[in-house]
Amino acid sequence: MIDYFALALGHGLIAIALLRLVLREGLDADPLIGSITSEAADNRKATSVAGRNEARRAKGSDAGDPDDPRAQAANR
Amino acid sequence: MLDLIFLAFIGYVLVLGLRRPFLWVLLYVYIDILAPQRIGYSIISTLPVSLIAFAAAFGGWLALDRKDGARFTLRQGLMAALLLYCGWTTGNADFAEAAATKWDWVWKALLFAIFLPLTLTTRARIEGLALVLLLSVATIVIGTGLKTVLGGGGYENLKFFVNDNSGIYESSTLATVAIGLIPMLWWFVRHGTVFRPHWAVTGFAVALTFACLLVPIGTEARTGLLCIAALGGLMLRYTRRRFLFIAGAAVLGLTALPFLPQSYYDRMSTLAEPGGDESASTRMAVWEWTIDYAADKPFGGGFDAYRGNRFAYTMPVKEVAGNTTSVRYQEVVDEGRAYHSSVFEMLGEQGWPGLIMWLTLHLLGLWQMERIQRRWRAAEGEAERWIAPLAAALQMGAVIYLVGALFQGIAYQPVMLMLVGLQIGLHSYCKRIDSAQRLLARSTARKALIGDKVHGAVTA
Repeated sequence: MIDYFALALGHGLIAIALLRLVLREGLDADPLIGSITSEAADNRKATSVAGRNEARRAKGSDAGDPDDPRAQAANR
Repeated sequence: MLDLIFLAFIGYVLVLGLRRPFLWVLLYVYIDILAPQRIGYSIISTLPVSLIAFAAAFGGWLALDRKDGARFTLRQGLMAALLLYCGWTTGNADFAEAAATKWDWVWKALLFAIFLPLTLTTRARIEGLALVLLLSVATIVIGTGLKTVLGGGGYENLKFFVNDNSGIYESSTLATVAIGLIPMLWWFVRHGTVFRPHWAVTGFAVALTFACLLVPIGTEARTGLLCIAALGGLMLRYTRRRFLFIAGAAVLGLTALPFLPQSYYDRMSTLAEPGGDESASTRMAVWEWTIDYAADKPFGGGFDAYRGNRFAYTMPVKEVAGNTTSVRYQEVVDEGRAYHSSVFEMLGEQGWPGLIMWLTLHLLGLWQMERIQRRWRAAEGEAERWIAPLAAALQMGAVIYLVGALFQGIAYQPVMLMLVGLQIGLHSYCKRIDSAQRLLARSTARKALIGDKVHGAVTA
């Protein structure tokens, strides 16, 4: 009887824990490391010549499209 | 019926793993610790569930995992070297058949411990492994604790789910593992994210701690008592009111004394006078024999080399006749006595190179956990403040294991090797955060510098 109780409790808890792990976002990709590396990547992009050119081009093309609400906002 | 429930549970995890293959790694951990194939007795005992789980875990990682941040570290290298070395000594063993039997499970335990850190690339995975490890051991401990409370303990009398005295189902080993996991249990109470801090979690932890402390009492394993003492000593480091802690522990210990059975006193009293007990006397003799053996064979005699030992020693035998107690010294001859110590187990079986590798593996772990604690002690953010306490819990667990290992031949205990894997995983994870933060700092500084230059050029 005690054995069955212990087995049921242990397995029940493991089953719940595993289900929660499956449904969790950060199981396969770590959110902390992900946020640090993406911030660093943004910085690198902002400092590289290619990155700055790309940003300028994007800004230019945005400004050239009168129907684009982002371009309208930028023009204002 | 029980078999079907176990199979349904294994099937459930296999299905969940289709979405997240890491769960198959956890499935292997569960099967390796609890051994459901040995608890059940019909269908499940005929299926190679352990092999299926290992194939799923390794195959899933190889084919489906992102493997971001998976690193091969120095300690994994040490285990790989130990594995190869053990393979070599097995080929040249004194007792080839016995050595092959032990090699059969040791290589699996070592290989899995080498593989495990490669999968521990996120906080959730580190926590998930720690939780499954803890709950698998807890399943055994809960049963043991309840049986002890309800009566029915005693050395080699207490029945576990599996009663073949192997793996974790050996009373002293279970006592060591159970005590060693208490610090990690309390880490979950404060920092768990799968089961968040809640009164129910705290209640479970209190009950489980009590059950863990009951394991050495229920099984009357003397080593367990030493492990409890080690745990108390280690906790002093993290206690602010030390004198209150010591007084509280003493009061608790004294209150527990009247509830202990006489047989427990009798067995524990042999701790103070090892000469009066055959098990303790043989240990001394085996250890001396092992040192002599290693002098002859510095590269070890392969697994189970102890089978070749034979020695005679004198042991005091007490005889009570009426009011007088006489002590007679009797010569005892012993053969093939086990090492009863992991240090001598390594020395006898793998020689000095094996012992050095094993000690380096564990001492390096203690040092790494110490460094992590110091590095992350001041971390305040939710994403980082769990690191230092987990390193502390793993370090305490490792010290308790080493204390237990001084008196038991558990050098390749799979649960402890998994804890080594967990330590390596945590260490690699911290190093990844550090290197990511270094890159971020460098890129931020560069961005600020360029911003200044552009700003300077515009104003000029």
